Amino acid sequence: MDIKLFRKKDGGVIQLVDKEKMKNWPVELPLIFIEYIREKKLDRYEDNTIKKDIESYLDEIMKEIAIPRLIGVLDSENDEEIILSLTRILDVAKKNIEMVKPIQKYLVDLQKSKNNKVVELSKNISEMFVKAERRKELARKRKIMRQKEKEFLDGKITAQDYAKIRKEYLLLKE
Amino acid sequence: MAKKKVDKSYDLKAAKELYYEYLERGKEIKDFEQPVDTIKIEDLSRNKILNRIYKLTDTIIKQIYNTGRPSIELPSRSSSNIIWDEENDLLLLGKQIMEKQFHSLTSVADITRLMRVLEVVTELLNEDLHATKREVFYTDVNLFSEQKNSDKSIEDVSTMLYTSRNSTHIVAAPRGSCVGRLRIRDRTDIIDLEAQGSGGWTISPFLDQIEIIESDAELILVIEKNAAMMRLAEDRFWRKYPCILLTAQGVGNVATRMFLKRLNKELNLPTFTLVDSDPYGHYIHSVYLRGSKRLSYESPFLATPNIKLLGVLTRDLDKYQIPKAARIRMNKQDEKRTKDLLKEDFVKKNKAWETDLQLAIKLREKAEIQAFATHGFKFLTDEYLPEKLTTGDWI
Repeated sequence: MDIKLFRKKDGGVIQLVDKEKMKNWPVELPLIFIEYIREKKLDRYEDNTIKKDIESYLDEIMKEIAIPRLIGVLDSENDEEIILSLTRILDVAKKNIEMVKPIQKYLVDLQKSKNNKVVELSKNISEMFVKAERRKELARKRKIMRQKEKEFLDGKITAQDYAKIRKEYLLLKE
Repeated sequence: MAKKKVDKSYDLKAAKELYYEYLERGKEIKDFEQPVDTIKIEDLSRNKILNRIYKLTDTIIKQIYNTGRPSIELPSRSSSNIIWDEENDLLLLGKQIMEKQFHSLTSVADITRLMRVLEVVTELLNEDLHATKREVFYTDVNLFSEQKNSDKSIEDVSTMLYTSRNSTHIVAAPRGSCVGRLRIRDRTDIIDLEAQGSGGWTISPFLDQIEIIESDAELILVIEKNAAMMRLAEDRFWRKYPCILLTAQGVGNVATRMFLKRLNKELNLPTFTLVDSDPYGHYIHSVYLRGSKRLSYESPFLATPNIKLLGVLTRDLDKYQIPKAARIRMNKQDEKRTKDLLKEDFVKKNKAWETDLQLAIKLREKAEIQAFATHGFKFLTDEYLPEKLTTGDWI
């Protein structure tokens, strides 16, 4: 089968390429496809049931095709293919780091490679993970900060406790 | 003069019914079965086709050593060997074989050109490159003299190897374009055909690198004229009526027909043509429908047998009150072409089509798609097409 059908309540149909065909795609393309449909098309489908069905189809693609294929390449000993994949992964990571998270653990070993380019690319991607983690942590602290500010203004915590949390937040921000 | 705006809404009921019917029937669609009295042409991989070339060359070399009078055999492409397969509604190549001899004065130029093209094909396949027909002509201008000679040799090589022209890596220059509710993959790029500007996406001749990845279209409309395509594209017709629009700017070239076939087959959507109301427009529709005689050996890869002729029908001229001033008197050649079409078996079997062509002969009138502009520039997109697709007024 070449195409997967999703029937809308109004009788229309959304047709998406079958995941089996993606087994022959360039290794990074299933990820790009998932991101493309999620960001550019899902909202336009309107029908909520169909959105949900397509979301779970995209998850299937991610789990069964996209990640195993990336891992397959990163686990191999072909430096040329690894470099090509890492370059593409870096492009995808720049747009949405969450999409390439499953390959994070493979980056540690790749940084020990004898090939300088492999090391450089895996380091770059790892740094993006670190930055993304920091951004996430900062967002979490900011949320706490706002809560504590409110509590401080309400007189529920002391100036000392507030100053301590504020300091932690500012250090992380820098 | 400003035209009175008629505020009607169209639900494209008839086209949608056809769409639902196709969706239901889709599961039952069987593969094309080749009739026994026709030759089988295959789409082949690079290696398989190279093997066929090597085997052929070996045979010629053996003939040179054994008899000194080598020759090659290939399916005849003369009109007597073109068969209309009624069941599949296709024009196919029969099993008549012709022989071309290297030592005959009448065929020496022809066979030399053919062998030169075979050499070019081998080079292209070995290096995994593609070339246009024009480039092939320029590989040896003195030998080919005119492009029609190299084109003929290209077609001879394809039939001789029992394969499609695309498999030989010789492609037509891009000419057709496509817009609408469709997303495709071209190697590592995702292309959104709704975001290509009013000119649309130029249909790539390298269709082996193209893959359909997403669509929410409900029909496909093939338009003869680029001007009409621009009108529909400017109106963003596909936004109101989910569809894919295609044009080849005249007779469908190989890439456009092949791409249309893939869209029709893979997406299983109702497909319609919008052509001028003249014998040439009807001929263009027939080429999309069942293939051309010249490329009959490739019909299974190029024809879209379930395509419908939406318009402009001869009967539409009165129905949509096309003024006499916008109609053109048929000349003798038009009449001859119409009569020739009426002699074709595939027209005789389609009563509605036959009746419309007979009406054209009676009225001796023709009109272009643009004639609807006499009712206002938006009449085509706001009235004519939606009404026809709603009422099912097609052939």
